[in-house]
Amino acid sequence: MSDLFAGTTVLEFGGGAAGPVATRYFADHGATVIRIESKRRPDFLRILKLTPNTPGGLDAGEHFAVLNANKLSVALDLSRPEGVAVARRLALWADCIAENFAPGAMAKWGLDYATLVRARPDLVMISTCLNGQTGPQRAYPGFGGQGSALAGFNHFTGWPDREPLGPYGTITDSLSPRFAALLLASALLHRQRTGEGQHIDLSQVEGGIVCLGEAMLAYTANGEVLGRLGNRSPHAAPHGVFRCRDRHGDERWVAIAVHDDDDWQRLVGALGRPAWATDAALATTAGRLARAGEIECKLEGWTRERTQDEAVAALLAAGVDAAPVEDLGDLHADPQLVHRRHFRPVAHPVLGTHPAETHAIRFSGMEPSLRRAAPRLGEHTEHVLRDLLGMDADEYERLAAAGVLE
Amino acid sequence: MGGNLSGIRVLDLTAEPGFMTGMLLGELGADVIKVEPPAGDPARRRPPFRGGRPDPEQALGWLAYNTSKRGITLDLTRPQGRDLFLRLCDTADVVLETDTPGTLAARGLGWDVLHARNPRLILCSLTPFGQTGPYATRRGSDLTVVAMSGNLHCTGDPDRAPLRCTFPVSHYHGSIEAAVGVVFALLAREHGGEGQHVDVACQEAMVMPNIGTASMAAMTGNRGRRAGAFFRQAKSVQREIWPCKDGYVSFALRGGPARVPGLIAMTEYMAEHGMASPKLRAMDWTKYNHNLLSQDEVDELSAEFGAFFLTKTMTELFEAACTRGLMLAPANTPREIVASEQLAARGFFVELDDPVRGRLRVPGAFARTSGPDPDAVAIAVRRPAPRLGEHTAEVLAEIGVDAAALARLRREGVA
Repeated sequence: MSDLFAGTTVLEFGGGAAGPVATRYFADHGATVIRIESKRRPDFLRILKLTPNTPGGLDAGEHFAVLNANKLSVALDLSRPEGVAVARRLALWADCIAENFAPGAMAKWGLDYATLVRARPDLVMISTCLNGQTGPQRAYPGFGGQGSALAGFNHFTGWPDREPLGPYGTITDSLSPRFAALLLASALLHRQRTGEGQHIDLSQVEGGIVCLGEAMLAYTANGEVLGRLGNRSPHAAPHGVFRCRDRHGDERWVAIAVHDDDDWQRLVGALGRPAWATDAALATTAGRLARAGEIECKLEGWTRERTQDEAVAALLAAGVDAAPVEDLGDLHADPQLVHRRHFRPVAHPVLGTHPAETHAIRFSGMEPSLRRAAPRLGEHTEHVLRDLLGMDADEYERLAAAGVLE
Repeated sequence: MGGNLSGIRVLDLTAEPGFMTGMLLGELGADVIKVEPPAGDPARRRPPFRGGRPDPEQALGWLAYNTSKRGITLDLTRPQGRDLFLRLCDTADVVLETDTPGTLAARGLGWDVLHARNPRLILCSLTPFGQTGPYATRRGSDLTVVAMSGNLHCTGDPDRAPLRCTFPVSHYHGSIEAAVGVVFALLAREHGGEGQHVDVACQEAMVMPNIGTASMAAMTGNRGRRAGAFFRQAKSVQREIWPCKDGYVSFALRGGPARVPGLIAMTEYMAEHGMASPKLRAMDWTKYNHNLLSQDEVDELSAEFGAFFLTKTMTELFEAACTRGLMLAPANTPREIVASEQLAARGFFVELDDPVRGRLRVPGAFARTSGPDPDAVAIAVRRPAPRLGEHTAEVLAEIGVDAAALARLRREGVA
């Protein structure tokens, strides 16, 4: 079939990852995703590593580029009523709107759902922010790092004897786009079937808490505050990450997960049945959990003498659940990610050809595709306003001359 | 109450890594039917248990992620069980599964069979590595999948091993991704297409949580390094997780237009408590660029903030953050989360009544909706996780299995 969202227009306000990654799901299946941007207040990912001397300036942000492939950019000065009027025309024309500003920002411009729906009764719009659109702490201004902390992920990541850490990459920023794509797609399906629109309020913190449901129930049902366990599992041992021989001065590690007593026998076999491992007391999960630290030490003695490749090969050959710890560079050569074409090249006007990523879904009847690199700021202002929205030349020139179009 | 997916029927064969997919679809209004073997899902036997004592109806991992589903028992390894399942497929829109690729096919329930039987049916498979490719049948679990995503490599303290989250985040990421795939396939069906096989890989789903840095590695050569409680910037590292009086808070001394007001407000807050030096009070945050700072400069600045945080509790600091607009957050445990004033105001946690198990307080819907017809688009936790076989009679009756036939199936161990 043709692209699922060919002919569908998504208007995007906001920045960072939580909103912009969500719309990528639609862009990668053919939607026209239009970012409303501003040179006066650029997306923070455009300036994260920016110094006054960065060649290419706002268009050279690698972080912005890898997350925003397949999109168009329109630059508007929303501090002026003429700019807001253009944004409103786009909002009423688009098929749906995604925004992740702090609550209240869209209302300040009259671009909130309550205002827009009066002119467009079947409007579909999603708003996502840390704490949701209502409640006493709705205006709280955090980023993903704060979302991860509020939702409990920091508390549950780290070593029991040290401070909490949070999984790399601010996890509410990566869970939220998935929730948002699911919500927006389901709203489009509902409108297709019934003609009805809706406004979706996704709190990134609440979404994270839903994921940690088991830990929440341990507290609401049993009054127990569970803690972080390093890499250990409460259910099985050994379960951890072990150092291998260094490679060219770099640390290399192997992850090993023994899930049951059969797995343990497989591991003992892979190790060559050393005396310590054939201890009958270690043949049961309870016995291994009781001596997890000792087993980890012995196991690391074995992995230290091997390269990562050797350790993984021996463990997999014995049927053990084991894996190399891959760094960000290794991923590009990972045979499975290569097979699924997770990374796909796009040609960027400032950064050159670079890889961007698509989602983790493959369909028997359609394919995600990366058609273009992330936009330069305002790259498509004229195209979107003139060719797509149908603004006449005089009006466009007037707005451009007045500086409303940045 | 309706929901965006009302009228959609889902048969859920998933094991633990995929429980959340059906839960989310159920909250969106789909009729989700969890299909368990007659002996019960293995997750029913995994601790922790409500009340502490092993009980297949009180396993918290089961209770947490199987809400908004009905539940039946059916032995799919037996011909009669398989036939009944295919009859259910005639009435269904979606089948969810998490078996190793090839397992369903070996039972005569592979994609070809299901598609021939009901061309509108969508099959969604969530596995560690995907349906095809060199690792398709390789073993994988949360720890090993996260190891192969780059995310483990970048998490943890520099002087210890790379680290995973204590809870299986790859299951959450993969489950939500699978739900996206299902709804995309439902949309494709609306556009005149047939049902599709949706193939979701947890390993691949765990790459995006690196928030673009995996793609950037090809440009910058930065393969990632563990920074523990710190954040790496151009010329230095700076603290992101700070100890306070009774726990920890997350706070970043980073600039940029969105953060400047918070930095100014924080300095004023410290000054009011006599804990901002003249140098800090004189700071022009609008010109602040964290990428230009040397490590010595970062350390000098950090020392003042660190000393201040130690005088305040998590609650005090978060209250100040909310009223003053500081970008600071406590590293909440479930205790603070359940007590949260914000979540209470939004009615987030909900009470589920179960006639056998009693009342249980659970996290509420994963989002909320409003619109011209709020009931038609509602998202809600619709029922507690099913007890073993709770809806077998009800669901099988819907496909014409009467009480006598069900009794026979039960005697023979099929249902």
